Amino acid sequence: MSAAFTVDVCSRCGYAAYPPRILCPACGGAEWRRRRADSGMVEEVTVRRPVFKRRQLPWGNWLDQSETWLGSVRTDLGPVVVARVPESVKPGDRVRLHSQASTTIALPGHLAEATSFAPDGAPDAAAHDSAGRG
Amino acid sequence: MTDAVAIVGAAESAYVRHPEVERRTETFLAEAVVGALEDAGIHRDEVDGLGVSSFSLAPDHAIDFAWRMGMRLRWVMEDTNGGASGINLLQHAIRAIEAGDAETVVLCSGDRMEKREFHLMTDRYNRVSRDYLAPLPLNGPNALFSFLTQRHARANGLGREDYACVPIAQRAWAGRNPGAVYRAPMNLEEYMESVPIAPPLTRFDCVPIVSGGDAFVLTTRARAARQARPAVGIRGIRALFNHDQQDSDALTTGFAEIAGELWASAGARPEDLDAAYVYDDYPVMVVCQAVDLGLVQDGDLTRFLRGRLLEDQWPMNTSGGQLSAGQAGAAGGMHGLVEAITQLRGRAGERQVDGAELALVTGYGMVVYKHGACHNAAVLERLG
Repeated sequence: MSAAFTVDVCSRCGYAAYPPRILCPACGGAEWRRRRADSGMVEEVTVRRPVFKRRQLPWGNWLDQSETWLGSVRTDLGPVVVARVPESVKPGDRVRLHSQASTTIALPGHLAEATSFAPDGAPDAAAHDSAGRG
Repeated sequence: MTDAVAIVGAAESAYVRHPEVERRTETFLAEAVVGALEDAGIHRDEVDGLGVSSFSLAPDHAIDFAWRMGMRLRWVMEDTNGGASGINLLQHAIRAIEAGDAETVVLCSGDRMEKREFHLMTDRYNRVSRDYLAPLPLNGPNALFSFLTQRHARANGLGREDYACVPIAQRAWAGRNPGAVYRAPMNLEEYMESVPIAPPLTRFDCVPIVSGGDAFVLTTRARAARQARPAVGIRGIRALFNHDQQDSDALTTGFAEIAGELWASAGARPEDLDAAYVYDDYPVMVVCQAVDLGLVQDGDLTRFLRGRLLEDQWPMNTSGGQLSAGQAGAAGGMHGLVEAITQLRGRAGERQVDGAELALVTGYGMVVYKHGACHNAAVLERLG
């Protein structure tokens, strides 16, 4: 389950915000338009090795933790997004961002949004790849 | 600068990696508070102000802790700003004493921080962590500071062996601190080969998670004079929150904006310092803060890291810092203050810095999405 990645853009001044804000940091405006922001460039990449192999989620169940490749992605609209990335991605790569509902970790009554992305031209294969990790 | 207030005692409960089940957050807070009052020679019943910072005290609050401790108060507050909580509490407590709202205030921070508490803290750190980071999954800020370290290394032409100077130099100090959890000397080879956590960050770039508490006592100058014990004054204190809206690369911190005011209000210059306590959640942040606060002469990072810190063992984070002593949750925001006070009062034992009269302490933290949003700093001096 994945959708095009979006950010909020201030209706008054055009400031692009991610994650969402209440008032615009630039002009103080309170109205936002959701805009597609699914292309960007990777700035840094790391692989997160969990401190603890297993961990208990706030609602009691246990999650086995494995390696997660993570990247810092500057979207073409401006905001920098922390995203899960395929292992093959390197700084400087152009990528496409997706919003992904993660069923394994969704909070009760709240669908958490995870982002992952794929290199341009191969969105489906890479989305599948990253969904299988972590 | 304040002429009305003095710090008269400080203590830290021993930091432990795996506390016994019966030792709860309030146990560590209480040990630190009792220790600080003993250090000050002040009885509990003279305390009329209490400030608390803790991630894991819930569902209790400062008032519940006060009741458990049998404290009658005229001033109480709680602070939630993590790495900046100690100095934030101090800033408020100074004003309370100056205004006459309280005469003698105890400030404390601490957490029982085992696996379960750690994950509760990181997953529910804030709404953004819960909704945008934890599901990646990313819990805790290691990967975010890996990104920041990579940016900093690229911009300044530094390598892992440069950032290594911070934990290695601090480890040498930790060897003289019986309260530090890592005390064995560390060399460059051990650092370079340590377990990767979020490359380029390894185990020794990340604070060991511990349980513990810190506390200190402040009162009026008049009351302090009656104690006939060493006291510490506050020469300057400045804070800045959310200065960049999380939009910058964070290589320049909020300290750059407040450094001038801080030094002017303190009537001091960075070169006057005898010691510095720079918030050390990650080596890169020590470097960024040191630059922005004017501790790096001519901006020469290599000379600062390899020469001043490593070879000269200039007194920075003389407890070993959080990187060697450990981070006991919110106590991380008070650890540097307690060590600075202990040094300025001449009570640091084997690691005592000779002639320590003027010290800088910084607080940094509360990652709202990509990096810390809270910055504060205080210049402290030995009185009398």
